[in-house]
Parts: sequence; structure tokens; C-alpha cells
Amino acid sequence: MEMLSTAGVGTLTTRMQRWVIAFVVLAALTGAMLAVRADLDKAHVALLFLLVVLVGSSIDGSVLGLMLAGCAFLLFDWFFVPPYNTLGVTNPLDWLVLVSFLITSVVAAQLLAHAQRRAEEALARTREVERFSTLGAETLNAADPVEALAAIAEVIRATLAVDSCDIYVHRGKEADLELLAHAAAPKVIRSASTVGRASGLLAWVGGRREMAVERQDGTVSVGASAEEAGAGARSNELHSAWFLSWGDIADARAIAIPLTVQGRSVGVLRVANEPHVDLAPGQRAFLNALSYYAALGVERVQLTTDASHTATLRDMDRLKNALLAAVSHDLRTPLTTVKALAHAIVEQGASPGDSNAISIEEEADRLTSLITDLLDYSRLTGGALQLVPQIESADDLIGAALAAARGILESRSVRVTDDASAVMLLGRFDFVHSVRALVNLIENAAKYSAPGTPIEIGVQRDGAHLVISVSDRGAGVDAADQERIFQPFYRATGVAPCAHGVGLGLAIARGLATAQGGDVTYAARPGGGSVFSLLLPAAEQPLLPPE
Amino acid sequence: MLIVDDEPKIRSALRQALEREVGTIFEASNGRDAISIAEQKRPAVVIIDLGLPDMEGIDVCRTIRAWSSVPILVLSARTDEQEKASLLEAGADDYITKPFSTVELRARVRAAVRRSQMVPVPGTDAPIVIGDLVIDTARRVVTSAGADVHLTPTEWGLLRVLVANAGKPVTHERLFQAVWGQAEGDVQLYLRVYVAHLRRKLEGDSYRPRLILTEPGVGYRFTLPA
Repeated sequence: MEMLSTAGVGTLTTRMQRWVIAFVVLAALTGAMLAVRADLDKAHVALLFLLVVLVGSSIDGSVLGLMLAGCAFLLFDWFFVPPYNTLGVTNPLDWLVLVSFLITSVVAAQLLAHAQRRAEEALARTREVERFSTLGAETLNAADPVEALAAIAEVIRATLAVDSCDIYVHRGKEADLELLAHAAAPKVIRSASTVGRASGLLAWVGGRREMAVERQDGTVSVGASAEEAGAGARSNELHSAWFLSWGDIADARAIAIPLTVQGRSVGVLRVANEPHVDLAPGQRAFLNALSYYAALGVERVQLTTDASHTATLRDMDRLKNALLAAVSHDLRTPLTTVKALAHAIVEQGASPGDSNAISIEEEADRLTSLITDLLDYSRLTGGALQLVPQIESADDLIGAALAAARGILESRSVRVTDDASAVMLLGRFDFVHSVRALVNLIENAAKYSAPGTPIEIGVQRDGAHLVISVSDRGAGVDAADQERIFQPFYRATGVAPCAHGVGLGLAIARGLATAQGGDVTYAARPGGGSVFSLLLPAAEQPLLPPE
Repeated sequence: MLIVDDEPKIRSALRQALEREVGTIFEASNGRDAISIAEQKRPAVVIIDLGLPDMEGIDVCRTIRAWSSVPILVLSARTDEQEKASLLEAGADDYITKPFSTVELRARVRAAVRRSQMVPVPGTDAPIVIGDLVIDTARRVVTSAGADVHLTPTEWGLLRVLVANAGKPVTHERLFQAVWGQAEGDVQLYLRVYVAHLRRKLEGDSYRPRLILTEPGVGYRFTLPA
């Protein structure tokens, strides 16, 4: 306690004053003891002098302590060891007393000064830890990451006792820096021109990931970049080594430090002070460590921004899905009525309107398939497609596709051939959308080949894919058109526009397949015709539990 | 029968399509009316359009199913298979996607009414005869042209659930629970494999099933060829 309170006194006075006070006290004590010298024992003198040495040592360190010890030794010998007023002694044993006093004073003064230094260091560390923990809590706990960043800037500014601390972040292009957090001492009124003038340098600091010092005379000094110092190391340490060894920055007006997270530049930290930023080595190390917190704070701001951006996109997707569902519903409802009523007219008996009613029903069907195509296509291109990939069998897929295409195939002969050696072919795909893709290929084959010709469906495993091929004996596709046929709204040239479709069937089939890791490919068929193959991710045949 | 739809024109079209099939037709334009009419008039079949102004169609199904075994057909404009499956779980018997063909609608209604009129008597399940194939679930025997067809216990379990719901789609979920007692793990895969096994044993061509039809994204349906 005494030590701390004397240290407190020490901070209130200058060093010169402390020395004067110490020697005045020594002189006064000597005078007082001289007045009662006859009643004093040598032990009293030694203890009182020792006390002065210890107090001196505690208020200004070991140098004052040692000086006081030397003086006290001489005064002791001169005034209090007989014969008085000489440095000689009558009793040789008095030398023992004097030397013991000197040694004790010197050792005690040094021990005390040492202990005190340790105590002050411990106190400084405690404060540093407190600041770091405050900063850590600010970085992690604050609900609004931008506010947290402002708090970090304020902690840095207050800790270093500088006028201002600004944190800039990259927006879009790297050269584009935006002031995100600004902390200023109450006396400072920031002028826009200060920031404006510095921004070119700050962009350079952020881009090059190098520190820079703005000097009072307007010149700029820059340090070694992270790349030059060696890649892969933590850039923070690199800055640290360079920064700490950077000698005199007494004439620095501002220091700009790049903020990096995992070697990536996320922003720039700038501390400024009028007339100059003077940082002791300890403060430099501290600033260096704090800049890492600032970098994490910036990172957090950017992650939060990204997350809200993602949430916006998700909301838009939901809206798009809802819109498609509503459009689908609103278009199908009147079609349902048209179709059912047309059918009722057809059934109600033979009248001249019959053939018209049949046409109406057919056109309603056609419109339905057009709407389905357009909705599917907009789902595909709009990213609103929802896939549910599951283990499915090729049997089910082909069976469901043939059932769905029953109306189109009518009396067409369709042969399905599979690899007889394979027990069962399985895949992992979205069943509904894969059936749709396969139906489109079957419809396409039926559409572009003569009515009487057979369509063949083959299924086999090819590496990681299940390949379902649809072969026809149609005219085939010219080599020049083999990719264009998969483009939306493409219609084969030289073929009469057929009753159904707007040219989306193959584009949808390919889109649905690629969306789940498959594809649709075209090959000319030997002997004439086309082979369209639907590729879907294959799955392994399981080991069934024994029965 | 009861037609529930908020569009008067659809109600009218449905009435014209079905009036020769069934007796009296009641109409309701919202879920609340539908439930009270179903309660008072005891229709033989209910057709519900989804997207009613006051209630979700699925809640109407659930409410009616809580006290009645009347067949419920759902009209859906949406192509969401997940929704169809949950409608079936909620008690609907079948679904038809708009725009439907009148012929198919009539067939579905007729089948639903016929199913509900068959009163099952335990232990007296008559064998099902389809051409050469005889399925006797009571005696657990299947013969094809007189020769025994061996089915494993799992295949039997699957066939029994499908046959018991003949004509109706049975959801994957229901099959998982009925056959394996769980919907987790590899049952997804087992179901596909055992359905294929059954088809290969009972039907000539597993790519053109006539008995066990796939309801894409929903489940399977056992149909008796007309």
C-alpha cells in the first residue's frame, strides 16, 4: 500500500522536485539527529538513514536510492561515528557498522525499486487484458456489428490517447474504401477534407497491404508488405516485427494500417493525432494487436451484410415461387372450365357444333401443355426449381414416363431394352422432374418420326450415370443443328410446324437433367434417326436385409 | 355427392360432367359450408377443390375424415407432389390435377364410390383374379397360370397393403410405416427394389406395369384392370 501511494506522489511531481525533496529530507534528518547526537545510538542513525534511502528509492527508482545511500554513508561517518567531523574512525569495529549500513541500503534500495517496477508492469498488463477483453466482448456481443466496430475504434483511440481512429472497409472494388467507424476525441472536429486527402493513400494501403505513415511535412513513409516479407505467415506478425523496429515516428501525423483476415485485405485502420502520433514500443505492439480485432470486426460486418443479402435473395425466390404457383392456378382454372364444358357439348349429342367443341377441347389441352412448358421453363431459368433427389429405380422412371406419354404414343410400338445382366438399375434423382424430362424426349421422338415407325428405349449403367436412351427412325438432326436443338424456342427447320409445343421440350429436358447432375445428349442413329440420351446420377444396388 | 369449389363455373362444369353418374349433387363454395353439408346430407362422395377462400383444403379433408369414411377426391391445380402426398395422408382418397379430362374424372368418381360400397368382411377376402394371375391374400398364395409364385415376407407385406387399398394411391410414407415400421434409413431404397421385384414376379413387363402403377412423387397404386 505504501509503495503504491508513494508511486502516486511520484506521478504528481517532476523528477527534479523529487530529488530536491529527497535531499532536503536527508539534510533535515541529519540536522535533527545532530541536535540530539549525545542520546543517539549508532543503530538509531542507521535505521533512520535507511528509511530515507528506501523512501527515495520508492519515489524515483534505484538511482535516487543509491545516491541517497552514498550520501547517508558519508554523513553517517562524518557526523555520527567518533571521531566526529572526520572520515576516520577510532574504533575499527565501527567500519563494520558503516559498511553493513552501506550494503544494506544499496541492496534494499535496489530490491524495492525492482519490486515496484514489477508491480507497475503487472498493473499495466492488467489494464491491457481488461482492454482486450472489453474489445473481445464488443466484437462478439454487440447486436449491430457496425456499432461494435465503432466501439472498437473508440477503445483503440482511448487506449492510445490519440485524436481520432477511423476504420475503412472495402466496398465492391478494392480501391473503393468507405468510412465505416469513426472515433474522435471530443476536442477534434473532423473536416471532410482530411479524409478526402488521405483516401488515395488509404486505398493504396488496403490494396498493397502495407502500412504507411503520414508525416507532418506531408511526406509519406511506407513499410514492407506482407508479400515481400514472405507469404503464408500471419500478416499481423509481419507488420508487428516491421512496425516495432521502425524507429522514430515522432513526426508522424497519422498511421494507416491494413486490416487483413487470413491474408485477405478487408479494410484500413487509420489513427491520427495533432501535432503528432507518438507511440511507445508497448503502444505499437498494442495497436498492432488491436488492429486484428478491428479486422475481425470488419469481417463480421461484411458477413452480416452478405447474410442479409442472401436472405433477400431467398425472399425473392419465395416470391417467385408463389407467383408461379398463382399464375399456374389462375391459368388452369379457366382451362378446366373450357375443357369440361366443351366435353359436355360433345357428349350432348350430334349437332353441327360438335366438331367445334372437339376442337375447343383439343385446343384447351394444347394450351395446357404450353402453359406447363412456359411455367417449367421459367422455373428452370428463374432458379425456382425445387428438386427432391431420392433413390429411384429405372423401372419406375420408364414405367411412369410411358404411362404419361400414353396419349402421344397411341398405337406406336415402343420397345424397351435393358442390360439383361444387370439385376436392377438405380439412380439418385428427382423422380417427378426426371419423368418430365424423359416424357419430353419420348414426345420429341414421336413428333419427329413417321407415325408407323417404332421408338426404342434403352437403359444401362455407364460409369457414374444411368443412361436412358430414346431412339427413333426420324430424319435425324443436321450436324450444324445438334447443339441448337437444345436452345429454347428452337424449331427444327424443314419440318412442318406441328400441333404441339413452342420448342421448349428439349431445353426443359436438358435443364431438368443438368440441374440434378445429369445431362441430355444427342447422337445420330446408325441407319438413320436420332438417339437422345437422358443421363442421371446412378446409385449402387443395395444389399437387402435377409428374409 | 358434394362439390366444393369457390368458382361457380367449375362447379357447373363438374355438375354437368357428373350428374348422370351420381344422385343428388350439393354444392358448397367454401370449407365451412362443405363441412356442414357433408355432416347433414351424408353425400356418397366429396370433390374438393384446393384454394378455398376460408380454409385450407387439407383441413377440410381432415375434418370430414375425422367422423366420416366418405370418399374424398381432391382437385388440384398445383403440381406440387409433396402437397398431394400430404392430402392423402390427411384422409383424401385420390386427387386429380386440373385441367382434368371428364372421362378420367368419371372413372375416378365411379371407382371411389364402388370402393366405399364394398363392405370388407374379415377372413372372407375373395381371391383377386387377373387373367392368369390369382392373388389370394387370405391364404397368402399367388399363382400364375396355376403355378405357385413365391413371394418373400417383405414382398407379401407390400402387396397386402397395396391390395387392401386397391384403386387408391398409397403414399411412400404409408408403405414405409406399414411394411418396415419406419421411414428412416434405407427404406426409400428397399421400397423401390421390392416394388420392382413384385412387378417382375406378378407382371410380364416391369416397364409397363398394369397392376402396380407408379404415382410420380407420391407413391404407388394397385389397379385392377377393367
